[in-house]
Amino acid sequence: MTRIPPLLLLAGPGVLFILVTLLLPLLAIFMFSFWRTESYELYPDWNLDNYRVLFTEAAYRTFLLRSLIGALVTSLLCLLYAWPVAYFIARHGGRYRLLLVLLLAAPFFTGVILRIAALQGIFGPGGLINMALGIFGLPPIAALMYTPLAATIGHVYLFVPFMVTAIYLSLVNFNFDLLETAKINGAGPWRAFIEVTWPLNWIGTAIGLALVFIPCLASAVTPRFLGGPSATSFGMSLGQQFGETGTWALGSAMGVVLFAFSLLVLAVMGFTVNLKRSGFTGMGAR
Amino acid sequence: MTRADDRPASLSLQSVSKHFGPVRAVDGIDLAIGQDEFFSLLGPSGSGKTTMLRIIAGLERPTTGRVLVRGQDVTTMPPYRRRIGMVFQNFLLFPHKTVAENIVFPLRMQNVARAERDERLLWAMKLLRLDGLAERYPNELSGGQQQRVSLARGLISRPALLLLDEPLANLDRELRAEMEVEIRRYQKELNIPFVYVTHNQEEALTMSDRIAVMRNGVFEQIGPRNDVYRKPATAFVAAFVGQSNQLTARAEMVGPDSLTLTWRGHRLHLPHPGGIKAGDDVRFFIKYEDIEVTPERTAPGNHVGGHLRDIIFKGQTANYIVSLADGSEIIASASSRDQKVTIGEAVSVTWPASAGMCFKT
Repeated sequence: MTRIPPLLLLAGPGVLFILVTLLLPLLAIFMFSFWRTESYELYPDWNLDNYRVLFTEAAYRTFLLRSLIGALVTSLLCLLYAWPVAYFIARHGGRYRLLLVLLLAAPFFTGVILRIAALQGIFGPGGLINMALGIFGLPPIAALMYTPLAATIGHVYLFVPFMVTAIYLSLVNFNFDLLETAKINGAGPWRAFIEVTWPLNWIGTAIGLALVFIPCLASAVTPRFLGGPSATSFGMSLGQQFGETGTWALGSAMGVVLFAFSLLVLAVMGFTVNLKRSGFTGMGAR
Repeated sequence: MTRADDRPASLSLQSVSKHFGPVRAVDGIDLAIGQDEFFSLLGPSGSGKTTMLRIIAGLERPTTGRVLVRGQDVTTMPPYRRRIGMVFQNFLLFPHKTVAENIVFPLRMQNVARAERDERLLWAMKLLRLDGLAERYPNELSGGQQQRVSLARGLISRPALLLLDEPLANLDRELRAEMEVEIRRYQKELNIPFVYVTHNQEEALTMSDRIAVMRNGVFEQIGPRNDVYRKPATAFVAAFVGQSNQLTARAEMVGPDSLTLTWRGHRLHLPHPGGIKAGDDVRFFIKYEDIEVTPERTAPGNHVGGHLRDIIFKGQTANYIVSLADGSEIIASASSRDQKVTIGEAVSVTWPASAGMCFKT
């Protein structure tokens, strides 16, 4: 009997799991994107029509652009919001640090639909803000009701905990004594941040950006509930191809495009990381 | 008072205190450090020496008192405006910057022109013998190299003052001895005052012009290194600096400089700093190297008889452990080369009446 190497035994189940649940569906989607759907049936006659439709029909281009801009804006807003919060917790959280980070994740204890419904209850026509305005005889804020702005606020709310967690995990491993060193050597608070804190926490920040950008790009539920008709996203349209319209092949092509953009973002992120300059010791040395 | 730019730097602290809640980490310190001085703060951990250094650097605000650098009050000035260099025990080099980038960092922060920056970088790299390492990252350097980069960073902007916080504690013994000599050389060559914090008396004695021995936030003694070593002002200093035999007895006759006591049947004469009356209980300290162990009594002065229990070989010197009749021990240190005595034999222990120091308990 041949012996199975222990490493294979250890890694085998995981590899198999990834193969079955991740790679195979991806390959299937890739394959379907070159097929054709007719009356809710997939036909394997190979063609590029789906991609042609995606790149020529204005509606899909608009959806994609809207989703890209939405994801970018959401990522930047999350970044601006998360840095001070994560910094404060890491620096001043003391023994409550872990608790504070867990509290940020508290909304996850409920489901995503529930959280969005709660936001609707705040922004919607009969929601908290507009009702309160009504009591004082003021007109409701139209910008918050079923607009891309409302969808963006929803995205920030949904994804900001990922960003805070990523930056926090980076900051707890950051040696704040280096900041004092920078100050003694003549760097004011902002200069010290730019010279030392930011570059040494860039990897964590980049991970946070990816964790927000990628799901936000594919987001379908949030814009549907909060965004209204002018916020139809690429992800929403994609969902429809697999649901109402039953055009699986086109939907698959959209999935491939989404996947390609996500890869592109990851590649750009990866390009900005110079391991030697990241402050990671023992990596990339010599 | 004129204040030209090339006026020699100096530091003064005026009744500086730092309280952390009920703890007085630094308690009313007055200090003036001269233009070309190598000054050491020596003390056990928790004595307040690092807190004092952080106050000078601007990393801590004193609870009361003033800090002046070159005559300018910097008490409320943030660290980045003080132009003080600092070197740390754990180096604290920026891990994402090369050696050259680390060293020129202070100059970049002061917006020094590139040409001058490059010139000064070459100067600093040469001074600290870092040639060829400019493009390395800190994690590619040895501990000694990292500490020299850290020194170069501290010195490149020719600061008003260089603070050193146990900079050699993480280096191995041989390297430490070498760096002690080098650091003193930089200080003398550059004529920048150094304030050196350490718990290691050897380091302080090797490098300093003056030493302050610190305990519980106050100076036990401040003075030239010889005085601190030879004429300790308090029992704490006597015990902390150098290696001494610590003995107790009761003072019998007290003169202006010297007193007489009987210790285990031996009549001894010892110097004292004053404040002792006949009949007081006293502790006295005799440094190992002040004591001579010989087969027969040769020198005048204090004499105790015993037999040699053991010789602890230390290399250049050896410690001679003498057991007295009542079982107590006295240790002497001397050159290890010509040992005139052998283990187990009766020996004579002598030391001059001017050696050692006696304090009231």
